[in-house]
Amino acid sequence: MDLMAQISWSHRAGEGGIWTMMLVGFFIGMALMFVISRAPTRARRPIVGAFTFLSGLFYVMLYLWPTPKSKGQFDIPQGPVESVGFFLQDTVPVVKDFASILTAFLLGLGVFSLLRIHLSRIFKGHKDRFFSATLLVSMVLMMIVGYAQWYQREFTAAAKTTDYGNPDNWTGAMQAFDFLFDGLLQQMDAAMFSIIAFFILSAAYRAFRIRSVEATIMLGTALILMLSLMGLVDYLSTTAVASLGGDQNVLQNFTLKSVSDWIKNNLQSPSLRAMEFGVGLGALAMGLRLWLNLERGGVGG
Amino acid sequence: MQYYDSGWVGVLVTVLIVAVILATIYRSTKMEGNLFIRRIAGLNAIDEAIGRATEMGRPVVMVPGIGGLDAIAVQAINIFAKVTQTAAKFATPIKLCCADAAVYAVAQETIRDVYQREGLIERFDSEAVQFVSDRQFAFAAGVAGIIRREKVAAAFFLGAFFAESLIFAESANAMGAIQVAGSTQTTQTPFFVAACDYVLIGDEFYAASAYLTRHPILVGSLIGQDYAKIFYAALITFGCLLTSYQMAFTMKTHKRENRQWVALEAPERKTKKDTTFGYIFDVESPTEEEMKVERPQRQPNWWEQAPEAEGGN
Repeated sequence: MDLMAQISWSHRAGEGGIWTMMLVGFFIGMALMFVISRAPTRARRPIVGAFTFLSGLFYVMLYLWPTPKSKGQFDIPQGPVESVGFFLQDTVPVVKDFASILTAFLLGLGVFSLLRIHLSRIFKGHKDRFFSATLLVSMVLMMIVGYAQWYQREFTAAAKTTDYGNPDNWTGAMQAFDFLFDGLLQQMDAAMFSIIAFFILSAAYRAFRIRSVEATIMLGTALILMLSLMGLVDYLSTTAVASLGGDQNVLQNFTLKSVSDWIKNNLQSPSLRAMEFGVGLGALAMGLRLWLNLERGGVGG
Repeated sequence: MQYYDSGWVGVLVTVLIVAVILATIYRSTKMEGNLFIRRIAGLNAIDEAIGRATEMGRPVVMVPGIGGLDAIAVQAINIFAKVTQTAAKFATPIKLCCADAAVYAVAQETIRDVYQREGLIERFDSEAVQFVSDRQFAFAAGVAGIIRREKVAAAFFLGAFFAESLIFAESANAMGAIQVAGSTQTTQTPFFVAACDYVLIGDEFYAASAYLTRHPILVGSLIGQDYAKIFYAALITFGCLLTSYQMAFTMKTHKRENRQWVALEAPERKTKKDTTFGYIFDVESPTEEEMKVERPQRQPNWWEQAPEAEGGN
């Protein structure tokens, strides 16, 4: 298992070898990119399938292989099982780094999509060009101000001596960033979130009309749950039931609170759990099909 | 040495389910003829929704949720590929709005492939798939704006949705669009039920590609899921009966104390934790002492040493 220790990620980047490994990795990456870009359309599916299988295999191994107990940073693995376990554990951050790098590339692709669509709208004189211009100006402004305040906060000579926790010491870029981020963006987010309250009202109005048996059941259930959450109504219902008999009265089971609790515990929770079981199994089957390249149609080609 | 007590049960069940799904996939590829899948109204409505959009000359909007590139997003894109296939034939414009750059990249390739496969690549609009924003409410505002400005005639909201679900559904409703929605988030399903015309509930979302394509592999996988559900239902029923019996008719003579079995002075009634299923699913965490392992140490590499050890640089 010495071989496993040799190729362990934490051992690779050592004592000057790091640069060699980086160069080798870079050239292998470029060669792979070249091969994939030149591959005929027919061959792409097996290539993508092979990469997906290997990536999936790593996480399947990580799930199934016994995790070493109390692994210390400088521990030497004992035996083949621990060696593989150490290798897998050490590889997790590297795989995560790969994913982060890919995501960064893809985010660039997203920004490119925004630029292409909105610049073309501006230049073609599309009727929504003012929205597009607002979006692009906001994006560029946020980038410039964000980077400027980050640079000033982290890298300037003043950054080492100034307490930027105190807003009185903020530079112009920091104040501008605060205005754009906390003053505008966060407030607009909150405004969009608040709109949901009105949408709930209009959706509830439509849904609670008695059009069918299902809608009537939904209306009745919702009414009981909503009323049980109103303090005064709940108090009145409890008092009314109590006045009909003592604490041992069987009618105690029919107060609004008892009925709503029964609905939540015996109808709502089991239904949600059943749905979650189904969704979990669906995700497992979907993951399995993707991993083994069995998916058909759409992404599966 | 990972699985203390009964922790291996979960892994065993997962492996068994995977085996069953693979077996049913294999079996269904050998079978002839279409296998039965019950009617799913939301998926039957796809053609109706696109037909309406075609008649009105308005676009179809599709949103694969705001999650990252995972099984949910891939499944949503698979369904959208089917929607696009129909839309492409009738030259109905589509808009696919993404909140994640990775989902955007995959969606764009998939949608272009659909037009190419149909031999209608000239109808593919490179702006049909667009990245809007990765901030939840910026995305919500952007998509709601697209729905209203483009006056969409049909809307498909399939994927992982959160608080923004109702913003989309109500915006599309205000435009009089037919809406087909489905979320794997059980908290959002009621909102969709209240606001949309058709809703895919729970695992209907994952059944969609099998339902739409009837491909043996996908249908086989669906059958495997059903067997797994039957297994779960049987296990739950058995667990309920066994737990009820044990709690009502059997007494405990020992209890767990400081990770040891201690004899009780007098038998006591069992609680939920003392039953067989309670024991299986209430895994005892190992103590620090049990977790301790002595191993030989290697020399730290230079980049792993603390600054003090390097002379304070």
